[in-house]
Amino acid sequence: MTAGLSGLRPWLAPLAWSLLLLAAVLGMAELEALFRQIQPGTGAVIYQRDSFAQLLLNHLLIVGVAALVSVSLGVAAGILATRAWGRDFLPLVSQVASIGQTFPPVAVLALAVPLLGFGSLPTIVALVLYGLLPVLRNTLAGLQGVPPAVLEAAQGMGMAPRQVLFEVELPLAAAVIFAGIRTTVTVTIATAAIGSTIGASTLGDPVIAGLVNGNTAYVLQGALLIGLLAVSVDSGFERLQQLIAERQGL
Amino acid sequence: MRLLSSASNRVVLTLVTLAIGSLLLGDFASVQANRIVPGSGFGLFAALGSAWAVALLAALVTLAALALHPSPAGYRGMLLLISLLLLQWPASLAWFIHTQIPADQAQARAGLATGCWSLLFFALLLLIEVRQRLAPAAGWWRLGPLGLLLVTGLLIYSGYLEPLALLREYSSRSAQFWQALRGHLGLVGGALGFSLLFGVALALLIRRQPQLQRSVFGVLNFFQTIPSLALFGLLIAPLSYLAAHSPLLQQLGIRGIGWAPALLALVAYSLLPIVRNTSVALQAVAAEVIESARGMGMSPWQVFSQVRLPLALPVILEGMRITSIQAIGLTAVAALIGAEGFGSFIFQGLGQGAMDLVLLGALPTIVLALLADALFSALARYFQPGVG
Repeated sequence: MTAGLSGLRPWLAPLAWSLLLLAAVLGMAELEALFRQIQPGTGAVIYQRDSFAQLLLNHLLIVGVAALVSVSLGVAAGILATRAWGRDFLPLVSQVASIGQTFPPVAVLALAVPLLGFGSLPTIVALVLYGLLPVLRNTLAGLQGVPPAVLEAAQGMGMAPRQVLFEVELPLAAAVIFAGIRTTVTVTIATAAIGSTIGASTLGDPVIAGLVNGNTAYVLQGALLIGLLAVSVDSGFERLQQLIAERQGL
Repeated sequence: MRLLSSASNRVVLTLVTLAIGSLLLGDFASVQANRIVPGSGFGLFAALGSAWAVALLAALVTLAALALHPSPAGYRGMLLLISLLLLQWPASLAWFIHTQIPADQAQARAGLATGCWSLLFFALLLLIEVRQRLAPAAGWWRLGPLGLLLVTGLLIYSGYLEPLALLREYSSRSAQFWQALRGHLGLVGGALGFSLLFGVALALLIRRQPQLQRSVFGVLNFFQTIPSLALFGLLIAPLSYLAAHSPLLQQLGIRGIGWAPALLALVAYSLLPIVRNTSVALQAVAAEVIESARGMGMSPWQVFSQVRLPLALPVILEGMRITSIQAIGLTAVAALIGAEGFGSFIFQGLGQGAMDLVLLGALPTIVLALLADALFSALARYFQPGVG
């Protein structure tokens, strides 16, 4: 029992944040009296158009789909550009990845509308495009950071190119790639919240509705939940990063 | 001048194929009778006429042909063709406007469609690709992009591009545009100034008291994790409360919405890159360098101002580059809480479904970010020890 608990200990921070998020999602209505003090003289002080649980689910779904696609595309492109037959594309790909990160996420989100219209789909496309870059950049950095001597040794042992990739290169680059994934997810969560302005239903909805109607209570509710979501996910990633570092240290 | 390989350049071939495909499959440009009605699209041939369209396609095909067996001379030829593609880009828009929009229709406006955008996009990618194949880099690769800006500027100045939807939106709110630029730069500059002040102070504090390092970086990292919309939203209630109870704050113009919460949040986000880079830079100066400076009889202040700071400056400037790019994007978001800047055009445009207005906000935001990137990269290179 004690062994089980001590194994849980490193997960305490992500668990605590997630529980707090869950409590806030389910118990926001209980705080009505508090919000009434912040926003006196207004009929509704708790955001009602959608339940907070629904908004959280939508937000997670959009972030999940976008992050999954951008991580798969980013890692795949990074691998392809560092193989012998894709190396021609490497300089262009790495320069585009670094120039692209200069573009503000909100501008990318806004430019998706003239091309794709309003809604969740354009939001996801914009998030994928923007989220690609940190993963791609870190995949390239991680794979290029593998010492040539290690690669030669692996080839010398008679490993096939596929084996070298999966058993040597990717494990050695894992920590750097994972750091890129963490950045991508953080940016995606934040930008998905702004996606409310282009018609995606996320936890940004109460904030935008509150700002438009001058209802500070709504703004606070949305902002609180977005913040808790970001911190929960990020602390989970931090723990996973520690695990990868520990495994590599062995 | 040696080239990486004598085999055909598959990158150029791919990019050219994509460019030709998007030119032939998508609309090149569109015309709207006024701001409200939907526009009608024009394909490449309809928009520019056969002569111009064929010349354009011929240039792209020649590029591909040169890429089959690239030689140093071939790459110079490709660079020349790409520069021409960039130079003709604004001219082709002016030609489209000239032929398709009657001068007496003051409401009619021309829009850029997929073909036009992707031609620009692929031409720039081709430029990046071909430029780095020409080693040592041929200085005249700048001719294309600079010429593009110059020709665009001239055509705007002379009124040929006036019916462009983006410029129609601009001319109906030019005063607001410059005010938005001032507001945007003011917030970014303020955030940069304050975060530099506090950031360098924090970095020096950490150097004196290393046990503070963990908690300072913990707090700053935490701020970076909070999404901008959440941080802006969380600052509104406390600031309105403070402003309501303090006449001094009211006199300063501090309210729950507007520049005050925006600046506060921007500084919170900007501190991490500045503190991180400054403390890394200050620590990275080799102990021997400091030792020999002291040995030469320099006072502690001289060691700091004449040795440590100049050596640390490029790294600090890199921190300022990250900070300014981040702040330019976040200032656009801050329009949601009433801060001035290009974000107000973006969100107004989204609200009204006016896409040209969205562009009028989004494009300058991107340009500002690219300019900040170029400026601070150039400064960091200039102050690189041993170069400047």
